[in-house]
Amino acid sequence: MDKTSPALVKFEGVTKKFGNVTALEKNSFEVAKGEFVFITGPSGSGKTTILKLILGEIIPSAGVIHVDGVNVGLLKPDDLPLFRQKIGTVFQDFKILNERTVRENVEVALAVIGLPTDSWEDRVKNVLKLVGLTGQIDLFPSQLSGGELQRVSLARALVVNPKILLADEPTGNLDWDTSDEIMDLFEKINKEGKTIIMATHNKEIVKKLKKRIIHIENGKIE
Amino acid sequence: MSNIHFKTATDYIRRAPFQALSAVFILSLTFFVATLVSILVYSSSKVINYFETRPQVIAFLKSDAKEEEVATLQHKFSQDIRIKDVKYVSREEALSIYKKATSDNPLLGELVSPSSFPASLEFSASDLSFAQEIIDEVKKEEIVDSVGFTAAIGGESSLKDVVGRLRTITSYVRIGGGVFTGILALTSFFVLLITISMRIATRREEVEILNLIGATKKFIRSPIILEALIYSVVGVILGWSLAFIGILYSAPGVVSYFGDIPVLPKDSLTLLTLFGIILVSELLLGVVLSLSGTFLAISRVKKMR
Repeated sequence: MDKTSPALVKFEGVTKKFGNVTALEKNSFEVAKGEFVFITGPSGSGKTTILKLILGEIIPSAGVIHVDGVNVGLLKPDDLPLFRQKIGTVFQDFKILNERTVRENVEVALAVIGLPTDSWEDRVKNVLKLVGLTGQIDLFPSQLSGGELQRVSLARALVVNPKILLADEPTGNLDWDTSDEIMDLFEKINKEGKTIIMATHNKEIVKKLKKRIIHIENGKIE
Repeated sequence: MSNIHFKTATDYIRRAPFQALSAVFILSLTFFVATLVSILVYSSSKVINYFETRPQVIAFLKSDAKEEEVATLQHKFSQDIRIKDVKYVSREEALSIYKKATSDNPLLGELVSPSSFPASLEFSASDLSFAQEIIDEVKKEEIVDSVGFTAAIGGESSLKDVVGRLRTITSYVRIGGGVFTGILALTSFFVLLITISMRIATRREEVEILNLIGATKKFIRSPIILEALIYSVVGVILGWSLAFIGILYSAPGVVSYFGDIPVLPKDSLTLLTLFGIILVSELLLGVVLSLSGTFLAISRVKKMR
């Protein structure tokens, strides 16, 4: 971790229990601004729980989480939307709006942050150029491949210029070649200064990118 | 921004056209009936007003009544707050009225002379409920020979019966129309509630995605509210237009049937104003229906989750 950069994400003794099941136990770690961090571990180890805690989808049972200086556990429900607008998310199952075109899927993120419509066109074109979907701008999700759908998801996350990009198994549904292309894209985005936290169990990807790894087993960071 | 919500709302409608059609159909029916009931209420109130304001009571004077006595009685009536528009009708004027009324058979007019008709004092009651007591009092006046009333529906024997009949008809129109419209409005409300609940259920995945990318409750609910508003506005306009066209079509026949009774406004501006007021009221009611239906649907879905 780059010790000169301030921590953008900070976990301090975080525990998360679902009933009697302990998903995370007294975990502490930091992610600096501009860093690319992999969260690795077997299925059910608590990777997705960490991402959900960062996003404020769930609150910790104990401990404190700071994201960009905000104590996530103390956020009121009405403050969550504004908080989440600072975080881009990419999922294994893409979470794309199937009835909307590529352009509309990206535009919806701009509508959510309340950006004036006259500035949408440039932003959408730039981000689609970045992810390599310029030619598919007016296509519907049913006309796209898995890799292209993940690019749409990535474009939607990036178009609002988030402070952090969370990716939960973004290559989980993709073949190796497509995964490689998507990871190249993530690396490119990180080089431009974006903080990325990616949960994955794909060892090949982790080996190839040589980034900091937070490994978790049975809810504990090792 | 609102364009994206409007587009989303119209997309939902396109995706489930039969749900949309059923909602619009029931809302149109509701507002069609509501417009007809509003016009009926207007017409019945005009009928009552007509009978209340036209001369209803005629006090026929004895032939030996002196001018001073008639003038005194007329003055007495004028001072009575229950009585208005007192008018003296001489024998000659009575003959003239008779001739005019029998103009289609001039022979009848030639058979009579002014002496055939008594002079009279005609007046109306400020409220029809006073009419019977006024008649009873007028009958006791020395120079009054007999008292008649001009309003009669279905062969009533007294003015009290006429008033009773009119009030009953008006109550039936108001209560019956109100209840029927209320039932239809309630049906519309439930159809809207079901349609919107189904819409929310089918949008669950979309709502989840929007939540994750930081959409506010307002952002997520706006298309649903817009969709309900579209149903209501289209329903109001369709129902109102059908009723408006129907009434315009039947207006000449209705107006000529009721003759002097102003069941419908006779000038276009008043008619349009009346329908304009009904349209605005129905649009407001439609907005209330759609908003309450939407918020109830949202709160029910939240509880179920």
